[in-house]
Amino acid sequence: MLSPAAIIQRTPLFGRMFSVDESTGLEEINGWPGLMIMTSFAWLAVAGLLGVAMPLTQIFELDAGLFYLAITAHGAALVFPFLLQLVFGVSLHRAGGCLGTPATGLIPALIFWFMNVGAVLLTIAILFGFSVSYAVMYPLPIVGVETGQWSMWVVVLGFTGIALVLLSVIVLYPIQVLKMLFFDQQRDYLLLTPRSLRDPGMLGMAMAALVLLVAGTPLIIVASAVLLGLYGILPMALITWATEPVVFQFVFFIFAHNLMEAMAIMVIAAVYATLPLYLADGTRKLYSERLARLALWILLVTSVTSFFHHFYTMLPALPAALSYHGHIMSWGTGIGAALSIFTIGATIWKHGIRPDPALMAILFGFVLYVLDGVSAIITSNVVWSFQLHGTMWQSAHTMAVLIAMTLLWLGVFMHHYPVITGRTLSKKTGYSFVALYTISALGLAYSMLAAGAAGMPRRFAAWNQEGWMFYGNLILFFGLLLAVALAVLAYDLYKSRFIPEPVAGGQAMPAE
Amino acid sequence: MLDFLYQSGWGAFTAMLLFQIPFLIVFVSLIFWKSVAGREPSGTDDKKTWWVEAMWLTAVVALFLVVNIVSIQYLPAVSTARAVQSAVQSGQDIQDVDVTAASWYYEMSNREFIAGDPIRFSAKATDTQHGFAVYHPDGRVLFTMMLIPGVGPASLVYTFQDPGTYKVRCLEYCGLAHHDMSDELIVTASAN
Repeated sequence: MLSPAAIIQRTPLFGRMFSVDESTGLEEINGWPGLMIMTSFAWLAVAGLLGVAMPLTQIFELDAGLFYLAITAHGAALVFPFLLQLVFGVSLHRAGGCLGTPATGLIPALIFWFMNVGAVLLTIAILFGFSVSYAVMYPLPIVGVETGQWSMWVVVLGFTGIALVLLSVIVLYPIQVLKMLFFDQQRDYLLLTPRSLRDPGMLGMAMAALVLLVAGTPLIIVASAVLLGLYGILPMALITWATEPVVFQFVFFIFAHNLMEAMAIMVIAAVYATLPLYLADGTRKLYSERLARLALWILLVTSVTSFFHHFYTMLPALPAALSYHGHIMSWGTGIGAALSIFTIGATIWKHGIRPDPALMAILFGFVLYVLDGVSAIITSNVVWSFQLHGTMWQSAHTMAVLIAMTLLWLGVFMHHYPVITGRTLSKKTGYSFVALYTISALGLAYSMLAAGAAGMPRRFAAWNQEGWMFYGNLILFFGLLLAVALAVLAYDLYKSRFIPEPVAGGQAMPAE
Repeated sequence: MLDFLYQSGWGAFTAMLLFQIPFLIVFVSLIFWKSVAGREPSGTDDKKTWWVEAMWLTAVVALFLVVNIVSIQYLPAVSTARAVQSAVQSGQDIQDVDVTAASWYYEMSNREFIAGDPIRFSAKATDTQHGFAVYHPDGRVLFTMMLIPGVGPASLVYTFQDPGTYKVRCLEYCGLAHHDMSDELIVTASAN
């Protein structure tokens, strides 16, 4: 069986960008993480092409089925095998270097294979007609069979793929993180920068892992029951408790919402962990670690039950009390964000910063994240939700938060790139990437938000009415600009240069 | 002004910008200033910084409270209660309209209304998730409802103010003809 590093080496094009430096003796924290990161970029290329395809199907008035295929595949590829796999890879590398525990063995291998095999199966199902959008919209998969929109076998294949991906995300990754945090023996040669749970970076990681495990377990149970029913292993009558549409919807959004919140907690934690390494005065200290930890706790506590904001417009089927609770909690996450804004801003003000493309990616990713956060709390106000729910405003929020987190995590990855690969990136190209990416992200977000304000529906294959194509053209323009930005990053990775001095095993790299 | 802010998508967009623009200006300026122009650390007095922090958090909480408390008067529950109260006082009945959504059409008990009359829309879906969103003739979304099969109907009371043809659209993805799922409501001027 080939090692992860060997698989990377043998991969055309991408292998050149991500090959692991085996001279450092750090393969136990670089191997599987590096493979996950490399594979995530391959999925990004796929998702990006599908993203551009969507407005093109509308501009050239192609069949509506192509639009719905593209929207399903784009969403599924972007969230799971791209962004989540990127997060898993970078975070496992970082956890290993900060705890001195390896990311090797069966669990990281299963995380990788379940995620990618599951994503391939789901993609095949989508290509053969399983156009249910990335939110699955249960019971649409079954109704689609009954109304002749797609075949039953694509439903079974699609659900199988989804189940593998969910196992990777909800069960395997959190178990690996918790294992590294609490159970594995520390190996000194892997310890690059010692951190504990008192550090906001590590605390955020532990929180995120637990949120995924706890919030995702009901969905795993329900989805497993549905899958066993589809395979004929359980009689359908025995699983009616799982196949009720409202049951599936609630467990889905309890997970999906908290998945996003878990990623947000991790990403804020990543800012807290990485920013101090770039302070101009060399103190490597946040303005206040207590405030940072407090912000994370507020974010955690308020975000877990804010998911009711997905159901406001079911009134009164969703009791109003739950709507109001979701409303208050959603705006409560803004308090956590306000604390983070202050802590990060005060750190920058007090200590100055040493500019670097990786840091700029992290900081501008944070800016995009806060801007998106405002659009999110606006639509999580019950009143505004009745004008905005189901419009492109929601798509704008989803895309903007994913785009923001992508930039943040790419920044963290760029920071760790020398340790993983033994090569450095070009500062000039890095700055160009950050600038282009930020401009295109802002353009995309505001185009889609404006489209939503104008009433343009989301997941809707008829843009050529009510003047909505104006927004469609803007979305295409900024989408292409984003593609250019990512191509610049790919060029930067491809042209990376080896660091002249090899790093001795176990010694800390600069700015780790 | 408040009606514009809270009863239209562009009002929401405006409110969003009012939050975002100050943050964007201050934070991005800070990043550039401390990384390019004045990279050296600033001499900070911890007491002063504490005050800035307290003021910042107080301002955020106050703004959040104001925005949300003012929105209460526009809650569907409040507008429904007002419509019921108004109907009782004027001796006018609230007209009930039952809506059933299925792939890809609506069945409605009535499609023609008079401006100024309160209408209670009760909508349900029979097969998969659907939406029931009503658009003003000028393109604004007036309200939207999410319909999940198997649960009780979604319901709210709305009073059309302007005569015209109002578009109904499904805003919950429901399959390959989702974009064709639409209907119309006709509102005529009141005789009074």
